[in-house]
Amino acid sequence: MTPRFRRLWLTLGLLLVLLAMEFGISFLPLDREARPLVLIPAVLMVGLVGAMFMEVGRGPTIVRLFAVAGVLWLTILLGLGSLDPMTRTDYHVQDAFPK
Amino acid sequence: MSDVTHEFQYSSARHRSESAISGMWLFLATEVLFFGALFLTWIYTRHWNQVGFDAGARQTELAIGTINTVILLASSFVYSAGVAFIESGNSRRLIQCCAIAWALGVAFLILKFGIEWRDDFVKHLFPGHDFAIQGPLSGGARIFFVFYFLGTALHGVHMVGGLILVGWIVLRARRGEFSPTFYTPVTVVGLYWSFVDIVWIVLYPLIYLVGRGP
Repeated sequence: MTPRFRRLWLTLGLLLVLLAMEFGISFLPLDREARPLVLIPAVLMVGLVGAMFMEVGRGPTIVRLFAVAGVLWLTILLGLGSLDPMTRTDYHVQDAFPK
Repeated sequence: MSDVTHEFQYSSARHRSESAISGMWLFLATEVLFFGALFLTWIYTRHWNQVGFDAGARQTELAIGTINTVILLASSFVYSAGVAFIESGNSRRLIQCCAIAWALGVAFLILKFGIEWRDDFVKHLFPGHDFAIQGPLSGGARIFFVFYFLGTALHGVHMVGGLILVGWIVLRARRGEFSPTFYTPVTVVGLYWSFVDIVWIVLYPLIYLVGRGP
């Protein structure tokens, strides 16, 4: 087996291990707010597929630029878009103006 | 197009190949934003409707979702192996790998739309007038299933596009159009196929796992 195929097999193995971790973590008694932590293995899996199957590091420099741009704009989109739900505080009118 | 010639606008065959690969990456960067809006919708709607949203998520078929994830990971792996084979000049193995990747993609679609979606409709989980979940959780659960049907449909459309492209690679490979010095279309289609896999890797926990607490 050539090193290239060994890398591909290793990647598949790692992906399946991460998938199993993700599956297992989802059954942990996490708070509703903390449950998006289940996504951490998924983020690692995305990185693995990008690096090993799509070989982002192998192409010309502009390929890496486009890949980084995609991640950057996604981060801005999700970051700015999440600001409202993450930071807004709802005050009950009843509490603010007690009778 | 043979492996040594190139159109006038390129300085070399390598330049042509790099332009094609860069073009696909640029397209994928726009696709990231396309699906990014969907993921933002998930963040926003779940935040404001957590209990109902998670109640909806618990109605999904975890087994089918997990099997489908394994299927797509395997499909992406097999296609990548096909790229490695054609780099070493083995066109026959490329065709075999593409055929397996294609079959796995079809298996995904059958499980997703032929079985899972059908069950969802039978169980009245489509957010219509006879929606299965009633009471105070109904609103959040309906929003979840809007996300679910929209997300899986958009991903399914991309899968169908990928299957057409992989089939096109098989046809071209059978005509002997690829060699160790020219296999750019194989690489470009592989990028798209793996990207569709990446989208599912993110959709899988959003749909099946996050809302499934003990």
